[in-house]
This record gives sequence, C-alpha cells and structure tokens, in this order.
Amino acid sequence: MPAPRWAVCVDIGSTFTKGAVFGFEHGEGRVAARAETPTTAADLARGFETVRAELLRLARANEPGFAAEDAIVRFSSSARGGLRIAAIGIVPDLTLAVARLAAASAGGKIVKSFAYTLTAADVAAIEALDPDIVLLTGGTDGGDEKHNLANAAALAGARISSTIIYAGNRTARDAVAGILAGKRCIAVDNVMPEVGAVQVEPAREAVRRVFLATIVEGKGLAALAASLGVAPKPTPLAVFELVRALSEECPEWRDVCVLDIGGATTDCYSAVEPFRGEPGVVLHGIREPRLTRTVEGDCGLRVSAEALFESGRALIERELGSPPLEILAFAVYIGLVARYPAYLAAEARETRFDAIMARTCAALALRRHAGVLRTVYTAGGKAWVQRGKDLRAVRRVIGTGGYLARIAEEDFLARALAALVPEPEERFLVPEAPVLYADRNHVVPLIGSLAAEYPREAARLLAQSLRPVAGDVAQERDRRP
Amino acid sequence: MTAGPPYTIVLGVIGADCHSVGNKILDAFFTDAGFRVVNLGVMVSRDEFIDAAIESDARAILVSSLYGHGEIDCVGLRERCIERGLGSVLLYAGGNLVVGKRPFAEIEAKFKAMGFDRVFPPSVDLHAAAALLRADIEEAVHART
Repeated sequence: MPAPRWAVCVDIGSTFTKGAVFGFEHGEGRVAARAETPTTAADLARGFETVRAELLRLARANEPGFAAEDAIVRFSSSARGGLRIAAIGIVPDLTLAVARLAAASAGGKIVKSFAYTLTAADVAAIEALDPDIVLLTGGTDGGDEKHNLANAAALAGARISSTIIYAGNRTARDAVAGILAGKRCIAVDNVMPEVGAVQVEPAREAVRRVFLATIVEGKGLAALAASLGVAPKPTPLAVFELVRALSEECPEWRDVCVLDIGGATTDCYSAVEPFRGEPGVVLHGIREPRLTRTVEGDCGLRVSAEALFESGRALIERELGSPPLEILAFAVYIGLVARYPAYLAAEARETRFDAIMARTCAALALRRHAGVLRTVYTAGGKAWVQRGKDLRAVRRVIGTGGYLARIAEEDFLARALAALVPEPEERFLVPEAPVLYADRNHVVPLIGSLAAEYPREAARLLAQSLRPVAGDVAQERDRRP
Repeated sequence: MTAGPPYTIVLGVIGADCHSVGNKILDAFFTDAGFRVVNLGVMVSRDEFIDAAIESDARAILVSSLYGHGEIDCVGLRERCIERGLGSVLLYAGGNLVVGKRPFAEIEAKFKAMGFDRVFPPSVDLHAAAALLRADIEEAVHART
C-alpha cells in the first residue's frame, strides 16, 4: 500500500492524549507537528478532538502543502489501563507460560494467572477481578482435556461479565464451548499445540477483537471510531507491530529491544532469534517466538514504586551502598511518589533515587524477558541448558516512555545490567553491551498505529528519529568498522 | 506397524546425559509404531517429563539413560508423579542404567522397586518393547474403565 502524504496519529494514554502529524515524501517520513493535552477520562473523544484540532492548526500554519483531507487518521488507546486479562493454563512452565506470553503480546495486562484446576477460591478471585478477558488454555492438541472441562465448568458458574477466550486443546474445544454456552466465549487455535511449540497469533487476534468490542464501548471511543471510520488499537499492540516492522524493514535494527519504563509498569519488547543453536546448548521448555512482549506490574517509577522496592530490594540496596540512612530516605521517597504519582524529583538526591529505580526496572524487566543458560557437567564434558529467550544478539535497545525518552545517563544500561548477579553456573541471556537509543521525540506509540498498514514507512521514520544516548555515541562509533 | 489407537508417550534422556542418537531412534521407531511421541530430547529433568505428560495426557513416560547415572536421576520419579497427580502413568526405563557391570536382573529389581513398570537393558528388540508398551497401556486403560 503506498504511504499517505500525511498521517495524523493520536495516542490516548491514561494521563495524556498525545498526537503528531507525520509527513511522507519519496519514502521518507518526518514529524510535521506535535500536540498534547490531558486525557479527558469521562469522554476520551474530547481530548482526542482537542489534540487533533491543534495538530491540524499547526500543520496548516507550518506546512504549505498540508491539506487535512489528504491526511489519514489513526489512533491508539491505553485508557482504562488496558485490557485486563486473567490467564489460565495447566502446567506453570508450559501452557500457563504460553498463555501469559499470548496475553502480554496482545497488549493485555495480566491481572492474575492460575495453573491446573480452578478452586472455589480461584473462581472467587476471578469474580472479584471481573477481568475483560479470561484466557483459558491447557493441554496439547489431543492431550489433556479434563483440566479444561473442569475449568470451563467452574467459569460457567462464575458471576463474571468477562469474555472467555478458549485457546487450549482443540479436541476439547466443542465440549468447552458447550459448557460455556451461557457466556461470551470465543474459541481459537491452541496456544501450545505440541509440548514446547508456541502459537500465539490466533489468541492474540482474539484479544484484539475483544479489545475493539469492549474497550471501545463507552467513554466516547465508539462514536469516535464510527466518525473516523477506523478502530483504535491497544497502545501496546501498536508498539508491538512497530517493533515487528522495524525488525523486518531495517536490517540494522533486526535484533532489537524496546524498553518502556512507566509509572505503573515496565514493558519490554524484543525481536530476536530466540535460540542460536550453538554446539552443546540444548533448549528446554517453550520455544518463544521471535517477537515477544512482557509486562512487569511490579516495576514502575511511581504507582508501582513500593512493589519495585520489594522485588528489586537486593539491587536497590547494592546501589544505595551501606549508609542505613540512605535506605531510610529512599523508603520515604518511595512512599511519597507512590502516593503522589505526579511528583517530580526536586533535588539531586531524589534524582539519584529516580535513577536507581529506573535502572532497577530495566534490570528486572530485561532479566525476566530474557532466558537463562545453565552449565551442566556431563560425562562428555560441559554442556548448557537454555530456558527462555536469548537476547545476547540485541545490540540496540530503544528507550521510550517519560523517563527513558529524556534520559541523559551515559551508562544507564551498562549499570543496570551489571547489577544482575546470576547463580553460580548460570548466565542471564540479556543483551551484551547494548547501545541505548532514546525516543526523544516521543514517537513510538504514535508511529505504531501506522506500522501494520505501512510497515516500511513507519520503521524508517522511527529509525531516523532515534538517537543514541549521549555517552553511548562513543561506543557506537568505536563499534563501526 | 502395530495397529491400535495412537497412545501418547513421553520420551527423553534423563539428567545430565546428552546421548541423543538412541533417543532419535526411539522417537522414529515409536512414531512409526503408531504412538504419538512427545520427545523431550536430552538432559531432561524429572519435572520436565511430568510437565509434558500432564499437558499431553500421556499414558507412559519412557526414560532413557546412557551415561551410568540413571539410578541417581530416576530416584523419586514415581513419587513425584504421584505427588503431581500422575500416579497411574506407566514408567519405563532403559539403557546403561548403572555404572559398572551388574547383572541385569539386579538392575531391573532395583528400578522396579523405584516404581518403574518395565526396565530394559542396553540391547533390546524394539518391536517386542512396543508390543509390551501397547499391551501395558491397554491393560491400564481397561483397569481404569
């Protein structure tokens, strides 16, 4: 599809509604205008229209060739905090792990996950959460059915308004659909048709359909989608599609990670071959797809600051050093920012605390996104077992979101990754000596809404707009032949 | 080869053992013999066998061991199956299961005491083994119904 001459892209976030006008000419793109306004939670369309009007005004004023009727409009939304998903699988390391992967890759937020057979307490927990989606998986095709049938029966009796996506053993599909006839239920292909084989696309597509049907309802989004003739995308899905486009369209960005450290979560996306197949290395567990997203709900700089202090305590204490007062001051700061998420660091010490939190978020998110290599001593010598995804080939990491888009810290990633200490005979498969590129122009989710339709233009525009973070420039130069 | 339902079996080489040739032969043979084989390859832990058997609703777990440490690796596998709800799964073991030259009857008795249903020496007629496996599975299926 040829690129449009102009594209107006808007992202409705939970705090801000941001937009940009992109101009495309001879395959090259540029940012022609930018605007933002606080999100209008009660009627999301109002904030959208404010931004759009401002974008059109700026474009008309500054771009002689601009005509609104030549511009396409695309938008994404993470309003309401995204799609809330409860994931159910059988074995935690197999179908449940794949269900979580599918939910996160579709742009969902996993509110809870359950293994094996649901108990009465589990059902009560699901009722209390009443998630947008219950993703029910389990069993290989032709494999276990009894867990799925029991879990479907438990969900059939649950007082929930969720849409249930069944993506388990296909042999049980008809029986599960029958049990869940009284609920909104979509049945798709199995997320794990064979042990270890991952197939998340059908489940992801189903999640996207539910997003359109549920998130768009109310808050003015439905009317907006109808008047524009185009549906919104979940923001994380827009980013996911952008990472895919970047990796496929720009050879120098083939192996890439995107790190988005926010107030509530840290999102990590990667596009890289998950298993190198080196001699002596055996892959165990699930084989992840080339393109994945993970979300860490306990890694955030504001709303999730307290959870971060707990999860990353060892890393944080090592960074703070020994003075006990420093830890106390840090704890006080954590309490403050968790309570007042809009708070901005006012002095050097607080800036340092923010930096420590951000490095901890990056370290934890990358470690969890990446796999582990464990040395095994066999009769024939050393061998290695890999679990999870190998990110070592990733040389470029894109930092986006408020903190990383503005970052000036020269050795941010190097310090974050150096803080990770694996167990003896283990190695985290995180990127080796990556260069951090900052999304200085805040274009990532905005271009993302163009990525599925215009992958080449979206990818090139993103690649052009990224800059290595100051101190990393030297490293990047040294690496050139 | 053998007619009958395509029962699912889980196959793998246990522990820190990376002998893969026999594993591939077993995979090809049992697939050809009409079984649905979930092959986990080499260096497989006890829980990985059980995880795969749960998801695939396998009737049997076939554990290979070539490097002599099979005895240590296999201790507790039956107990772990019971703990994880797979008490009735058939457990087979085969290969060079122990270090040194010990009479096979002794090895077989030891592994049966550990909860294995069948134990095989390094050299075995696979056709006979497949027939035994199918008969054992069918007996277990009938016993359940």
